[in-house]
Amino acid sequence: MSLEPILRTDGVTKRFGGLTAVDDVDLDVERGEIVGLIGPNGAGKSTLFNCITGSLDADEGTVTFEGQDITNWSEDGIARMGLVRMFQHTRVYGDMTVLENLLVSAAEDRGLGNTFARPSSEAEEHAHELLETIDLEGLADVRAGRMSFGQQKLLEFAMALMADPDVLLMDEPAGGINPSMLGNLIEYIRDANTDQEVTILLIEHNMDFVMEVADRINVLAHGEKIAEGTPEEIQTDERVLDAYLGRE
Amino acid sequence: MSTTNDTGADIVDGILDAAASVYRFFEGRGLQTLAVFTIVSAIIPLTNPSGFEMTVITELFLFGVLALSWDLIGGQTGYPSFGNMAFFGIGAYTTAILVKSFGIAFPLAFVVAAALAVAFAAFIGIIVLRLRGGYFAIATLGVLLASQQITRNLDVTGGASGIILLQTPTAQEFYYLFLAILVLEAIVVMYLAQTRFGLVLNAIRDDEGKATAMGYNTTYYKTAAWMLAALFTGVAGGAWSLFNTFVDPITAYNTAWNVEIIAMALLGGSGTVVGPILGAFGLHGLIRMVIDTYFTGWQLVVLGAVVITTVIAMPKGIVGTIEEHASAMEYYKHGGQAAADSSDADVADPGDGTVDDSGGDSP
Repeated sequence: MSLEPILRTDGVTKRFGGLTAVDDVDLDVERGEIVGLIGPNGAGKSTLFNCITGSLDADEGTVTFEGQDITNWSEDGIARMGLVRMFQHTRVYGDMTVLENLLVSAAEDRGLGNTFARPSSEAEEHAHELLETIDLEGLADVRAGRMSFGQQKLLEFAMALMADPDVLLMDEPAGGINPSMLGNLIEYIRDANTDQEVTILLIEHNMDFVMEVADRINVLAHGEKIAEGTPEEIQTDERVLDAYLGRE
Repeated sequence: MSTTNDTGADIVDGILDAAASVYRFFEGRGLQTLAVFTIVSAIIPLTNPSGFEMTVITELFLFGVLALSWDLIGGQTGYPSFGNMAFFGIGAYTTAILVKSFGIAFPLAFVVAAALAVAFAAFIGIIVLRLRGGYFAIATLGVLLASQQITRNLDVTGGASGIILLQTPTAQEFYYLFLAILVLEAIVVMYLAQTRFGLVLNAIRDDEGKATAMGYNTTYYKTAAWMLAALFTGVAGGAWSLFNTFVDPITAYNTAWNVEIIAMALLGGSGTVVGPILGAFGLHGLIRMVIDTYFTGWQLVVLGAVVITTVIAMPKGIVGTIEEHASAMEYYKHGGQAAADSSDADVADPGDGTVDDSGGDSP
C-alpha cells in the first residue's frame, strides 16, 4: 500500500469571472478512508468536485489520483481510471430499466471487445447482487425514471459501484432521502468502503449523517478550506462554528 | 402516479392493458416475429399483385429502412436529425453516376454509395454531434440543404435536371432488394439494442452528461450510430435511384421525406425497433392508399397534423406508450408505490419524449 494519498488536490483554484469559487484548496484522501466535505451553501464544494472529476478545468493547482497527475484530464478518462462521482441532483438514465442502468455502468464489460456484445454474465450477476443489497430486486425491469427519488438515489449509488471505483465522490447522498432510510444508507456506504475497498469522499449537509459516517472531515467556506479533522474536532472548531453561524 | 382520474380513462386503460399483454407476448420474440414478417412479405409477390400494389409495398420497405435508420440517431441516441436525407441523396447520386456514367454494376455501385454516405456522416458527425436538441436539428437541416444545393450546382450530377436511368432491374427484384435491406437492418438494430453499444446510445439519450461522468467518451458512440444510420440510408438511396429511374436534387435530398420519416418514427414509437417500422408502414400506407387518392395534395398537412398530435398526445409513440404502460404495471405490481417515499412521490419525468438538455452539474 502506498504512503501517498490516493486522491490529493494541491492549491486547486477555480474562478468564475470575478468570483473565486474554489480558492487554493489542498485536500488529501487516504486509501480506504471515508472523508466528509462540509461547508455552507455556496462554499464551493460541488465546484471542487467538478474540478476533481474533470467536468470543470481548474484555473490553478493540481489534482493527483493514484500518484498520477490528472489535472484537466477528460471527464470520461478520469472516470475510467477509477474516480467515479455521483450527482447532487440524482442522475440516472430515466427511460432505461433499472437493470439496464446497472449493466451499462458495469466495469466488467468495459473492454472494446465487449462493446458489441451482450452484457456479460459477470455483469448481470453483479447487478443482481447489488439490487438485492439495496432492496430493489423486484424493480429490475422497471423504467428507472418511474421510481421515487429515494429509489433513484440508491440506484445511482449502485451504478457507481458497478463501475468498480477506487474512489467514489458522493454529492449529498443523504439529501432528499427518507430519514428512516438514513441508517440503511450509512450501512451501504460502510459496506462499500470495507467490503469493496472503495475510498469515499462525500459532500453532505446532514451533520448527524456526516459525523456518523466520516473518518475525517474537511470544511470549506467561501471557497477556502478552513478546517480539517475528526468529526469530534470539527464539532468544536471555532472557525467552523463561525462559518456556519455567519459570524465573521 | 396520477394522470388518469377521468371517467372514460378506464376504457383507455383497458385498451392499454390489452396492448401491454400483446407487447409482453412479442417482447423477446423479436426474431420470430421478424421471420414471420419476412416469409409473409416474400410470398406476396407470388400472389400476383398489381403493379401499383408492388410499388406501394416496396415503398413501405423503403420508408421502414429510412425511419429505422433515423431512429438509430434520433430515437435511440436522442439526436433529432433533420439531415438524414443527405445520406439518401449521396447514396442515390453516387449510384446513379456510377451506373450511368461509368457503367458499373449495381451491387458494386451500392457498396461505393454506402461507403461515401458513411464517410460523409463521419466527417459531418464530428462537427454537428457536438450540438444538442434544437441546435443539432437546425445544423443537420443546414447540412441537408447545403448538400442539395451543391448537387444542383455540379456538372457531374446533371445540375437541377438530374440524371435519368433507363436500364434498371425489375419491380420484383426491387421488392426483394428493399425487403432484404429492411430485414437486415432490423436484425442489426435488434441485436445492437441488446449490446452494451445499444445501452450506451440509450444512456446518451437519457443523460449524456451522466454517461460521460460514468466513463464514456460519448463522441465515439454518437458518431458510430450516425454512421450506421448513414450506411442504411445511403444504401436505400442507391437502390431508390434505380427504382425511381430518375434522380434530381429536390427528390433525392427530400426535406419533406425527412419530416415524414421523423413522423413515422415518432408515431410508431422511437427508441424501439418495431415502432419506426410500424410507423413507416402505417403512415406511408395511409398517404399512398388514402391521401394520394382522395385528398391529393394534402400530404404535408396530414404529416404536420400527425407530428403535432403525436407529440402532444403520445410523445412516446404507439409502441413507446404501450411499453411505458407495461413498465408502470410492473412497478405497481412490485409494490413500487408502497416502497416510494411519501414525501417525494414521483419526481419521475412525466414521460415526455423531448430531448433532455443535460449540461454539466451547475457549480
